[in-house]
Amino acid sequence: MSRPTRTFAAAVAATALLLAAACNSASTGGASKTDDSVRGVTDTRIKVGGIVSMTTASGYSKKDTDLGAKARFDRANAEGGLHGRKIDYLGAEDDGQDPSRNLAAARKLVQQDKVFAIAPMSSTTFSGADFLQKQRVPTFGWGTLPSFCGPSYIYGFGGCMVPTPGGTISQTWPEGLEQVMGGAKGRSVAILANDSDAGKFGIRTYRQSFESAGFTVTYAKPSVSAASVPSDWSAYTKEILRSDGGKAPDAIVSVMQTPYNIGLFTAVKRTGYRGVLTDPTDYDPGLLAKSATRKALDGVHVLTSFQPFEQQSAAMTRFGKDIRKAAGKDVPLNMHMMTGYMSADLFLAIAGKAGKDLTVSSFQKAADGFADTGTLVGDRAERKGQKESFGCGALVQLKGGAYVVSAPFKCYPPIPFT
Amino acid sequence: MADLLGFVLSGLVSGALYALLATGLVLSYSASGLFNFAHGATAYLCALAFYELHSGFGLPAVPTAVLLVCVLAPALGWGLDRLMFRKLARVGETAQIVATIGLLVALPALGLWTVELLADAGASVKPAENQFGLPGVGPSPAHSWQPVDGVGVDSDQLIIWAATAVVALGLWILMRHTPLGLQLRAAVDNRSLVELRGLSADRLSSIAWMLSSGLAGLAGVLATPLLGLSSHDFTLFLFVSATAAVLGRFVSVPLAFAGGLGLGVLQNLVAGYADFAERITGFRTAVPFLILFAGLLLLTRRRRTAGTAAVDPPPVDYLTGRSRLRRWGPWAVAAVLLAASFYTVTTPFWSGLLAQGLALSLVFMSFTVVTGLGAMVSLAQATFVTGAALVAGLLLSHGWPFVAAAAVGTCTAALLGALVALPALRLGGRSLALATLALAFLADQVLFQIGWLRNGDTGWAVPRPVLGPVDLGDDRALGVALTVLVAAAVAALSALRNSPSGRAMLAVRSAPAAAMASGVSVVRTKLVLFTLSAGLAGFGGVMYASYNTRVNATDFTAMTGLIWLAVVVAAGLRRPQFAVVAGLVYALVPHLLSDYVTESVHLPVILFGLAGLALANDPDGYCAAVPVRLQRRRLAGSGAGTPTATPAGEPPTALPGDTATGDTLPPDTTTAGTAVAGTATAGMTATAAGSTGVVAPAAETPTVVPGGTSPAHTGLTGAVPSEAGTTSAAPAGAGAAGAMSVEAVPGVGDGGQAGGAVGFGGRSFADALRLRGIRAGYGGAPVLRGVELAVRAGEILVLLGPNGAGKSTTCRVAAGLVSPLAGQVYVAGRDATRDGAVRRSRAGVVLAPEGRGIFPALTVEENLGLYLRGRDGRDARDAVYRRFPGLAGRRGVPAGALSGGEQQMLALAPLLQRPPKVLIADEPSLGLAPRVVEEVFRLLTELRDQGTALLLVEEKATEVLKVADSVAYLARGRVTWCGPRAAVEADRLTEAYLGLAATREGAARP
Repeated sequence: MSRPTRTFAAAVAATALLLAAACNSASTGGASKTDDSVRGVTDTRIKVGGIVSMTTASGYSKKDTDLGAKARFDRANAEGGLHGRKIDYLGAEDDGQDPSRNLAAARKLVQQDKVFAIAPMSSTTFSGADFLQKQRVPTFGWGTLPSFCGPSYIYGFGGCMVPTPGGTISQTWPEGLEQVMGGAKGRSVAILANDSDAGKFGIRTYRQSFESAGFTVTYAKPSVSAASVPSDWSAYTKEILRSDGGKAPDAIVSVMQTPYNIGLFTAVKRTGYRGVLTDPTDYDPGLLAKSATRKALDGVHVLTSFQPFEQQSAAMTRFGKDIRKAAGKDVPLNMHMMTGYMSADLFLAIAGKAGKDLTVSSFQKAADGFADTGTLVGDRAERKGQKESFGCGALVQLKGGAYVVSAPFKCYPPIPFT
Repeated sequence: MADLLGFVLSGLVSGALYALLATGLVLSYSASGLFNFAHGATAYLCALAFYELHSGFGLPAVPTAVLLVCVLAPALGWGLDRLMFRKLARVGETAQIVATIGLLVALPALGLWTVELLADAGASVKPAENQFGLPGVGPSPAHSWQPVDGVGVDSDQLIIWAATAVVALGLWILMRHTPLGLQLRAAVDNRSLVELRGLSADRLSSIAWMLSSGLAGLAGVLATPLLGLSSHDFTLFLFVSATAAVLGRFVSVPLAFAGGLGLGVLQNLVAGYADFAERITGFRTAVPFLILFAGLLLLTRRRRTAGTAAVDPPPVDYLTGRSRLRRWGPWAVAAVLLAASFYTVTTPFWSGLLAQGLALSLVFMSFTVVTGLGAMVSLAQATFVTGAALVAGLLLSHGWPFVAAAAVGTCTAALLGALVALPALRLGGRSLALATLALAFLADQVLFQIGWLRNGDTGWAVPRPVLGPVDLGDDRALGVALTVLVAAAVAALSALRNSPSGRAMLAVRSAPAAAMASGVSVVRTKLVLFTLSAGLAGFGGVMYASYNTRVNATDFTAMTGLIWLAVVVAAGLRRPQFAVVAGLVYALVPHLLSDYVTESVHLPVILFGLAGLALANDPDGYCAAVPVRLQRRRLAGSGAGTPTATPAGEPPTALPGDTATGDTLPPDTTTAGTAVAGTATAGMTATAAGSTGVVAPAAETPTVVPGGTSPAHTGLTGAVPSEAGTTSAAPAGAGAAGAMSVEAVPGVGDGGQAGGAVGFGGRSFADALRLRGIRAGYGGAPVLRGVELAVRAGEILVLLGPNGAGKSTTCRVAAGLVSPLAGQVYVAGRDATRDGAVRRSRAGVVLAPEGRGIFPALTVEENLGLYLRGRDGRDARDAVYRRFPGLAGRRGVPAGALSGGEQQMLALAPLLQRPPKVLIADEPSLGLAPRVVEEVFRLLTELRDQGTALLLVEEKATEVLKVADSVAYLARGRVTWCGPRAAVEADRLTEAYLGLAATREGAARP
């Protein structure tokens, strides 16, 4: 054995000893495992943090989620707080869509900032989920990730939006489209998704969803390159546009992100397509600022899982006012604000039900059997929301530079997912 | 048919962008020999700038685009070239690759940060996030037409085509029909020869980088409507366009350009007709990377020693000679302290981060193996990590115990490593890096899209193991366990490095051919390295997943692997401990920065990126920066010590030899010289400066004895003391007498020389070229130990000597390619020591280097044009053709296609037309037929007759003596004899030529 190896062997032995000594205390250390954790709750304050992807290499940001949450917490505080406790919202950590930063953000909020809950959590990755569940941190966010479906401490503001086999699929999209197209019978739709496992799953879900609503699905393929937005769309549009027995289908359903949809719709329109175009992501008034996106998305019906901003109600008026106040100026409303706002809202609703004696356990107990109606995301019910979406939605159409409601906000019964 | 037309047309859009990017890649590669991974980031930066200037500040589109493409982007390229690329061209290929990867992340972050700062300052910038459908230079929204039924074209596409066509034409004119283009192409062909022709290669490199950045800027501005502001998409676009650069073998602009266009079309056709692959999820996504990988395999020229970076010598070990305690003590203490800290000082949050950093260290150490030991840049390490973690997760979900699952996961990663290595082994350097990158993307897009392996977006739970009494569910226990594992891995890797197989690996790295010759299998060694590294990465991946308690297929992407490499190499690859430092820094620094410095998330990214930039100065990484500097200073200290010893030590060794050969100087003179030199505070300076003292030169005197004082050669020992005195005083007079063609001029000040420079009859009596007390060497190994030479206008001095005597080095010093450690070079009496090759050449000192001094890829006409440039260049070339009709007939032929003799004629012909002041010819007859040799020598004599001073190095002593005016013998880095041709004796010649003098000298040493 050479000398460096020996030195190291000694070091290893020393650390191993230390480890052996350590393991005795290991079981007692770590997370607080007592049932009535009051981490982040004092007599006067409740500490809440957020995790949002704000800066990303793809240029996609959910930054305004933070503003939405702040707006909602500000109002709660202005109304006197939760049973006399002010919400101390620390603002959102930026995870940059990076899994390791997502986990680090969750750890920081819990271990360093000692928050009671996390609202909102909105990102494309949620690797902090296991940690938060284990540390018993109530977390509220956009339920588009599997972690929002199942774990008892993690809540989607609109429910769990990832259908699982044996669970259910929300029918808001086909039902809404039925209203737009005046029925489903005999109408053909083509569904297009990214060439990835997630895209494949999306195709599988929406094919069943649209077929069970009565549409004829003439094309359903995850074929669009998932790595980066294609600059040429002709290869993808060719097949779609003759999928209905050589003709173009009555509707084209895109299950992709905004930049893809803009490319796809521009290309489809360039070929003279006159049918219905619809997607689930482009309800963003910010898109109207650019003439190119306005043109690309003109006439497109966009699915929203919350009440559209154009559909007036007391709650919507209040939402607009809260946002304006939090931002300090007039800003165009968007769905990220809604995500933050409603994540905070669901937290406040359940915490309010938990009453004056707020602990993690009392919070969780309040969540069991929690239900309310008529919110901006429809009728909410827990624990149902940890298995399926609340099933409410609307379609808005971009017409002449403004969104108009084409299928009003409504809750539909889901169908079983096979 | 309309389909096909549509696919081709729209394929040409991305094809045009690929072409622009690939052209830029080729230009910058040929300028500095480095593959610019950050080229896409430059394009992104320009797109961002265009968006902010146009949409934010409201500047008109077209002028903004012109400003960006013609001014700002080239300025960026120029700045980067000055700051880093120029320096990087001189370090190893790994550092080059990594530094530009650092830029790849730093540039976009820098842009976004600037926007952030401007927004804070109240400028009218717009947020760069969530921007889609951005306006380009054309109308927005774009106009569209349907020229053929079912085929749509819009104005953005038309603009891209038009701009690309204009650029193609412009580049063609620039490269083919301007002197600048000719010089650029020449620099690609033979960089050092360009310098010898008086053209600054650095300036050309700057121009190439400016062009390259301008092209990236153009691609960025044009692609804005298509790609939006996604730096990720721009980078992917660049990787795809690298295929086109590969097609042009990184040197041919036209091929790369055409390749880019073809690539776009091919990609679109595959996307349009790849119905057959529908069952394979991710196939269409992966098409560009399949093409890249296939292109690399098929088009990269096979090298004899594949798989190794071309120029990547293992760094000097700064710890050589240090005790093991010094080597390992601090690290062992650090490890123990780290382990202890988990249970004493660190909070749960920091414990978690430390554990994360340690888990990552295991992954990072895999780079120490493959890149540090093997000098192969693997960008696929993230693939091994994901693969191992997914497999382990899959098995754990089936109830396997942790250890077994981790073992199988590790083995899977090792297997993947071997699979990646197999096709990649025939590649080297940047091709290998790109191939592993392509494979990493393929794995992301196809392999890890397999449903049963990835388990959708849920991934697999990887619970923390409980090993006997140790429950790693606690971060602190995990931290300590990881410290032990990391320490064990460090020890194992260090032991491996010092073992026979480790030495074999290092041998394969630094000299594959030699390793092969000594029975080490290069392929097997490389395969083992790759497998080992992949296994280690995989094991680290399992531990990291276990820290996370879950693994998702998207946790570690190919891009993550790129960043990792940059982080590890920035820290250093020399020792595995540095990887641990890198892991901890990577995990901790962003949080430290956000806690104590700035909330901005861009700054840590910029810092990580710039760490790559620091590699330009410290190719060994920041961990070694301080010790390496200390060692350098120590060496410099002892280096200063060695020369101090030299004057005392060397003259005696040289002198007995001199005495033996008849060059005489009595021991007492030596002693006197030495003694006096020794009394000077730095004897070295005294000797090297030569003229600082009277006595110090006396120590040098015996090495070169003036021809005029030939009695010295006759062995009159007794005459020497006075002889030495004469020498130090006489040369000016002797020179004026014109009796000596070559002389030693120790101890004569420049003033005396100036007097000698007065010439008559158009001929200068001054030495056209004079070397004085030249010491030079490479990397600390001395070659020249005080060379004294002088050559006059209109004379041929032939330098003879055995192999390794330092003849070529003398030539290189004279031409300014190697700068001497001590001594001076005078050109026409002017001290030109500090001039580089370019200024030397402009002053009229021309080197015809060993081999052929031509640019093989340029035509005969272009070769001549590079020397015979200027207003009357054409007439001069015509004159050359009249004189050499053979060349006239082949003026359009690439010089590389000429015969050896024709090539040498081509190299010398323009010199005849415009005779230089000094011609240094390093073995001009090498490899030529005797008849051609005669012709060459005849041309050289002709040059002499035109007044050129010639320093001629030759092995063919007999032939060359016919043309020589005087002869100098070089042995062991010194001129041992120098005199007129007439004084050359046959046996002296044999001795000088065979190096017997030196041998005898050595034998006489005791």
